[in-house]
Amino acid sequence: MGQTMVEKIVSHQVGRRVQIGEKIERLPITKLFFNDVIGPPAIENFMADFGEIFDRAGKPAQVFDPKRVFFLPDHSVPTFSIHIAEGVKLMQSFSKERGIKCYKEGDGIEHVVLIEDGQIVPWDIVLGTDSHTDTNGALGTLAFGVGTTDAEYAMATGHLYDFVVPESVKFELTGALPKGVFSKDIILHIIGMMGAGGCSKRVAEFTGPGVRSLTMDARTTMCNMAVEMSARTGIMAYDEVMADFLKDRAEWPVEPIDSDPDASYAATYTIDLSALEPTVAFPNKPANTTPISKLQDMIERSQREPTPDFVPVDDDTITDAFLGSCTNARYEDLVAGAAVMRGHKVHPDVNLIVIPASRKVYERAMDEGLLQVFVKAGANVESSNCGPCFGSHMGVMSGKSKMISTSNRNYKGRMGSPDARIFLASPATVIASAIEGRITDPRKYFE
Amino acid sequence: MMTGKITSVYGNDINTDDIIPASFLQQSTDRKFFAEYAFDRHDPAFRDRCKETDTNIVIGGENFACGSSREQAVYALKENGVVCVIAQSYPDIFYRNSLSNGLVLIAVPDTSAFHMGDELNVDLDNFTIENKTQGTTIRFEMNPDDQNTFQQGGMVGRVRRHLEELLAK
Repeated sequence: MGQTMVEKIVSHQVGRRVQIGEKIERLPITKLFFNDVIGPPAIENFMADFGEIFDRAGKPAQVFDPKRVFFLPDHSVPTFSIHIAEGVKLMQSFSKERGIKCYKEGDGIEHVVLIEDGQIVPWDIVLGTDSHTDTNGALGTLAFGVGTTDAEYAMATGHLYDFVVPESVKFELTGALPKGVFSKDIILHIIGMMGAGGCSKRVAEFTGPGVRSLTMDARTTMCNMAVEMSARTGIMAYDEVMADFLKDRAEWPVEPIDSDPDASYAATYTIDLSALEPTVAFPNKPANTTPISKLQDMIERSQREPTPDFVPVDDDTITDAFLGSCTNARYEDLVAGAAVMRGHKVHPDVNLIVIPASRKVYERAMDEGLLQVFVKAGANVESSNCGPCFGSHMGVMSGKSKMISTSNRNYKGRMGSPDARIFLASPATVIASAIEGRITDPRKYFE
Repeated sequence: MMTGKITSVYGNDINTDDIIPASFLQQSTDRKFFAEYAFDRHDPAFRDRCKETDTNIVIGGENFACGSSREQAVYALKENGVVCVIAQSYPDIFYRNSLSNGLVLIAVPDTSAFHMGDELNVDLDNFTIENKTQGTTIRFEMNPDDQNTFQQGGMVGRVRRHLEELLAK
């Protein structure tokens, strides 16, 4: 019986073939990263829980392998409070003392930068202190978000404890994306189909010719949102596109990985990409999706049959737009957004914020004239960080705000006021909407 | 044996932004801090209801505490005196975070028998929940390792021992 990639990766680390459902008491991990939200408390807890043990052993309080641990300030930077600033300083000093790489404010978002810098390679087991760590599964890794405590333990010993080997669900993608339809639309469609808990406890494996037709940027968007259907993570196989991406970039040895043809899955779904439309998620959850052609029906339904997480929406007008986040602010996302924006202006009633996902993306976008397109159109272009995605800074929403965003969550209160309405969509849809002041089908901009 | 009172009943897909909005996460590293802002946007009355007793029980539906991996969601519940959550299912991240902190999570297929105000005896040794108010008792399933970890309030002891082994090499 063949194995899925997940089974193979765990088996490889444990040194023997494992079974689905088996509990691995001590699972070695290979990459670990912290952001500015969890890094500081994790460091404090690491010293409090283990300081004494290092002292007794006569060893310095060092992490399991300083080359495999990273600190990235991305959520609340440029630091907007004294407490946050102290936290970033703690991450910096802790890293410096130990030979650990601590990125700078503005270097970019954790789930973008490490991939860009070739630190994530197939067969890795990647832990990050953020649920969108699943993004890294696009590189053929077992990558998932953990809380402060699991991360702190991993920092000390390089292991994750009591890990139960999960099943996988296969999403076989066929066909080709029509013009104006992007990988964000694919994953929103899938989440809408599966529901908020649809992949619970399972890994979402995306496969098929449809995946192979996508670039690495496009693939990361899909794995990024696997958590929004409660998947443990997302994962994709190694292929020529990945090989090409990692060539001259990878900082670690690269080995191919794929699931065996006779591997066993909890369920299999086939998605025909050529049948997809631009897709929009309505407030208040990513699973409230509609194809854009049915937008008016969805608006009417929200008024007729609202529920606590499907709130009434008045009409299709918007007041705010955001092109950014770990989901959709990579180079190609800016290319797609600029292609729509070029020759147009931001609508007078809309506030558009554009945040490239990393310094490298920012610089490339600048060199190629993409930033200029947004700036001249009247967008607010910012240095690289998570931005308004999680409602703390860089554009917090009022009770009257109607925001269309390339990010990954639209829960009640996610981006500020609990009364704000947040729609999720692709960069092309977001920019088309920012131009017209209403949720807009971007396909006309690609004719 | 845990004795508690149901002071909150929620539906499906409660997420960790509901439990503790992101804007509070970096205001403190003290776990008690998060008690004050639990359910701040979704259900601010949660905190007042928790004051009724030291042993609150929360009822949830499917997929309780989905979304962000923020462990502060567990602190927000525990520091409000929530001793136990009974729901139909939990995503893995929240389940692990609760194990790490000794917040007991029980999964049952049907929570319709539990009502606001019910007094419960939760027996972790025998896997039963006695609803004293309704006069009913149900059984639940729990992995014995998890039962042990919940009762110990986490696994820091095991990790310490592992670290000692590694440093001795």
